[in-house]
Amino acid sequence: MKKTTWNTLMARHPALFALILFVIIIIINAILQPGLFALETLNNNMRVFLPLLLLAVGQSIVMIGGGIDISVGGIASIINCVLATQVGLNGSMEDMWKFIFISLLAGVLAGAINGFFIAVLRLQPIITTYATGFIYAGFALFLLPNPGGGIPRAVADFYRTTTPFGLPLAFSVIAVIVLIWWYVRSTRFGRYLYAVGGKADAAYQTAVPVNWVVFSTYVISGLMAAFSGIAITMLSGSGNAEIGSGMTLNSITAAVIGGTAMSGGVGGVAGPIMGTITLGLMQNIVSFSGISTWWETLAKALIIVVALAAPGIINLFIREKK
Amino acid sequence: MNVSLSAQNIVKHYGGVVALSDGNLEVQSGQVLALIGANGSGKSTLSKVINGVVVLDGGQLLLDQKPVHFSSPHAAIENGIATVFQELSLIPNMTVAENIWLTQEPRNILGIIKKKEVYQKTNELLALFEGTYKTKLNPDTPISALPADEKQIIEILKAIRLNPRILILDEATASLDSRQVQRLFKLVNQWKQEEKAIIFVSHRMEEIFQIADHYVVLRNGKSVGTGMIKDTNENELVKLMVDKTSVFSFKRQEKVKSLELKPICLKVKKLKTDVLQGIDFEVRQGELVGIGGLQGQGQRDLLLSLYGDISFTGDIQLFDEKVHFKHPHAAMKKGLALVPGDRAKEGLIYIRSILENLLLPSWRKYGTPLRMERSRKDALNVSNSLNLKMAGLQEPVSSLSGGNAQKVVIGKWLMRSPQLMLLDDPTKGVDVGTKAEFYSLLTRLCDEGKTILFYSSDDEELVGLCDRVLVLYDGQIRTELIDASLTKENLISASLGVVSEVTE
Repeated sequence: MKKTTWNTLMARHPALFALILFVIIIIINAILQPGLFALETLNNNMRVFLPLLLLAVGQSIVMIGGGIDISVGGIASIINCVLATQVGLNGSMEDMWKFIFISLLAGVLAGAINGFFIAVLRLQPIITTYATGFIYAGFALFLLPNPGGGIPRAVADFYRTTTPFGLPLAFSVIAVIVLIWWYVRSTRFGRYLYAVGGKADAAYQTAVPVNWVVFSTYVISGLMAAFSGIAITMLSGSGNAEIGSGMTLNSITAAVIGGTAMSGGVGGVAGPIMGTITLGLMQNIVSFSGISTWWETLAKALIIVVALAAPGIINLFIREKK
Repeated sequence: MNVSLSAQNIVKHYGGVVALSDGNLEVQSGQVLALIGANGSGKSTLSKVINGVVVLDGGQLLLDQKPVHFSSPHAAIENGIATVFQELSLIPNMTVAENIWLTQEPRNILGIIKKKEVYQKTNELLALFEGTYKTKLNPDTPISALPADEKQIIEILKAIRLNPRILILDEATASLDSRQVQRLFKLVNQWKQEEKAIIFVSHRMEEIFQIADHYVVLRNGKSVGTGMIKDTNENELVKLMVDKTSVFSFKRQEKVKSLELKPICLKVKKLKTDVLQGIDFEVRQGELVGIGGLQGQGQRDLLLSLYGDISFTGDIQLFDEKVHFKHPHAAMKKGLALVPGDRAKEGLIYIRSILENLLLPSWRKYGTPLRMERSRKDALNVSNSLNLKMAGLQEPVSSLSGGNAQKVVIGKWLMRSPQLMLLDDPTKGVDVGTKAEFYSLLTRLCDEGKTILFYSSDDEELVGLCDRVLVLYDGQIRTELIDASLTKENLISASLGVVSEVTE
């Protein structure tokens, strides 16, 4: 009987494990770094986490729909290069707004290309987005072969230092995302998303517009990647075509730690948000614990593996006991 | 709300396989039409054409005398046609309420789903089967937590959520218990009063006679008989289902009647799994025993549990030795071999060469480092003895036809010279010529002293080839057919659960 309660609990609240891990990591981090909750430290952390957080939310939506998007890093790179080359350090505010708008369109377009290949031509998501990811990364490199360019100082400062309601800017962004997600989940589209990821042929037999739903997940992911590219440009204040390359796998990791299933149909947005912050704080812990830089990557990777494997280990343990 | 549906000369093929060549049926308001047929007769295909899951290749559908064309399930649903799918169209991770109302959720102006209304409407539907649930079912229960019969009920409720005009019940009673079936029939009678038209696809004769008004019998993709249920009886329907013009040309050589003297190879007692309800039988060495029955009656479970692939309870004796295999490897060591039902997925590695596929289970035999020359020679011997038509052992299995690919599956086990071979529908999708080769191969193997347990969905094959046929029904051996009683009529009526034996 114990088995069903744990399993149903996990099934109903896929983010439960992420929450537990999240709390543990915060406690450990707070012990190592007592000033963690000071506004400035909090903001320093959150503004760094925000780009990956946006990416992980988009990734999670694709994964709930049964796919995966490996091109998100490339899309974020393109946006970064577009803004850094087209707006420039001395650009006007109008230009900034104009190119933010263009960036969002570009993200949607890149996502639509992925969606077309996967939903209409029925290609494998992992292969397709791996390939388009190269195209996007290559295009970013074409736009900006060497790191450089930039955005107006005022815009970067706004991103780095604004603290609405006495809280980091990222918190407001998270609040908006959660609110929108709550709305989406309460609509038919939300149901379709889970149905398609859960069992696509059954959804088709029930007259769910499966292709359209799959297509839209990649568009959403492309849009989120564009937001992420905008955020990372504001954070760094400059352009670098390689900036997104490491973020793709991190976004998948954050989504999985957040309880989104690779097999589709399970997950949410709160989980990946906590997953991203958990990943970031792990990095902090590793740096604060005085592990030499040689071992940093290894230590981080070990924590991630344990975090990913933990639900499986718990299940195994329960099965054995039974 | 009068409605009539008529399907005329429906043709449907999947690739080269013709599933339906001339499907006809007609149903009207207030009628229950039983769609009957043996394995592979096209029942499911015909119902899938009507509900838009597959697009027909020929013929036409008339709804209220007007021709209609359904290019997707959506189009059929719009026209008031709902289906209870045999393989269920439920999403395991979603709740009962979410599943029942998927795509039809009531919404407010902002597009937000009205949860209270969904909840209340779900409870109203659940009330239809009140008292037959074994679990504490509520609208928030996830589907994956439900037992098979309750999933089936949810599937039925999902089909009637929209008050359809035409309802297709495709094997809807398969996993229900008798109380639930009676409740369903009460509802069906009520729906008849409401002028709905119902198509009832089933293989249970007693249920057909209890609920249906009309019938259509399908045989080999053609409708071969139609009429009123009250003017017919079980035996007449069975006769309609049986193909008289036999294409089965294989003549089995008179077997030396010495089986009684042979030792018992396999003895199974009280074998139980989730599907099997307690199976007892014995097989002597050199015997070719068929397993028959409609698909999904536990045949696959029987073979897999013998092979140690799924867990079971019960006693199995192999040549007087008690065995309980927990893993296929243990079974292989004792000389068992399984030719699985889905050769593409379970039997072969299509992109690798014939040689590699043949040697896969027996590499251990060739030592370290591998004696490649000897292994190649052995593989060549086996492929020659099987008369494998190929360009060479190096060619990938994907270059072979279905029949030759299946020979590779059998060949890879012959390399281990097994004692007992378990065959799961090995001639599915195999051409007629190769089938005949299989039959002589199987009899030859038996004469050499190998024992074969042979499940087939092809009734002719079982009757023509086997020494004995065990007919499974609902996870039990319903009948054992041997010698004179081993006829196609008896096999089909036993498959359908008809108790009395048909004699001509």
